[in-house]
Amino acid sequence: MPPPTRPALEDPARAFREHVEPQIEVMLRVALSLTGRRADAEDLVQESLLRAYRAIDRFDGRHPRAWLLTILRHTHVNMHRRRRPDTLADWDRVGDARPAFGAARQQSAEDTVVDGTLDEQLAAAVATLDPRFRAVLVLVDVDDLSYAEAAATLGIPVGTVMSRLSRARRRVREALGSDALSPGRQS
Amino acid sequence: MRSSLRQMVTCMWSARRLQRYLDADPSAPLTPGEIARIEEHLAVCAKCADSAYELHALHHALAGWSQRPEPDEASLTRLRGYLDELTGSPRGPHGQETP
Repeated sequence: MPPPTRPALEDPARAFREHVEPQIEVMLRVALSLTGRRADAEDLVQESLLRAYRAIDRFDGRHPRAWLLTILRHTHVNMHRRRRPDTLADWDRVGDARPAFGAARQQSAEDTVVDGTLDEQLAAAVATLDPRFRAVLVLVDVDDLSYAEAAATLGIPVGTVMSRLSRARRRVREALGSDALSPGRQS
Repeated sequence: MRSSLRQMVTCMWSARRLQRYLDADPSAPLTPGEIARIEEHLAVCAKCADSAYELHALHHALAGWSQRPEPDEASLTRLRGYLDELTGSPRGPHGQETP
């Protein structure tokens, strides 16, 4: 007979795994945005997992994603000291920017605005943003982080996330022009 | 005159809160009263309603952006394996914990 399963709180390693495992994909996605290189992203997440495990005593069990993204940021800063901590890498460094997997997302009617033309326009508009604004836009709108999680990733206050996000979105809307996102647009 | 001035003030008031209304982020919640006031305004102001639609469409366009780099599935598998090594919790062939 297998031994009885201990409650997670009495088993720190198991509790750690239960909190962290669901966050690995978002950690890797954010690490890819931070580093711009697939190999660097994997190394960054692996090192961050190790540091998180060593710091498990300081984790209170709340907001595991924000806790892990804070560790990811610290680890990234330590590994790449010359990079500005509140910006992301350029995606064109990733090389193969086509989805490796996960492209078959749930599509809704409003997603139909994302046709090929808009994709190109979006790329051009986002590329011209100040790196600090682009970082917030990518983390919140593309990587789907909350304000607090983006703040933890970039090491800036939530209020700064909100103001940079507002300016980034306004500039992208202006760059796309009034027709690109209008209700009448058809794919 | 007075009603157009009131409309303009409400437009400005709504514009300042539109991002928080659409994102509904737990870090920056609006009060139920603010939400009701914005929704009442969006129902009667075409300019602000268009602005809301564009912001909403932009978010969906970026969320579904095909040019975003996606992480490798092989990287994910290796990292999950690394987590198992760290925590001493090997998995079975279908991802379930082994006893």
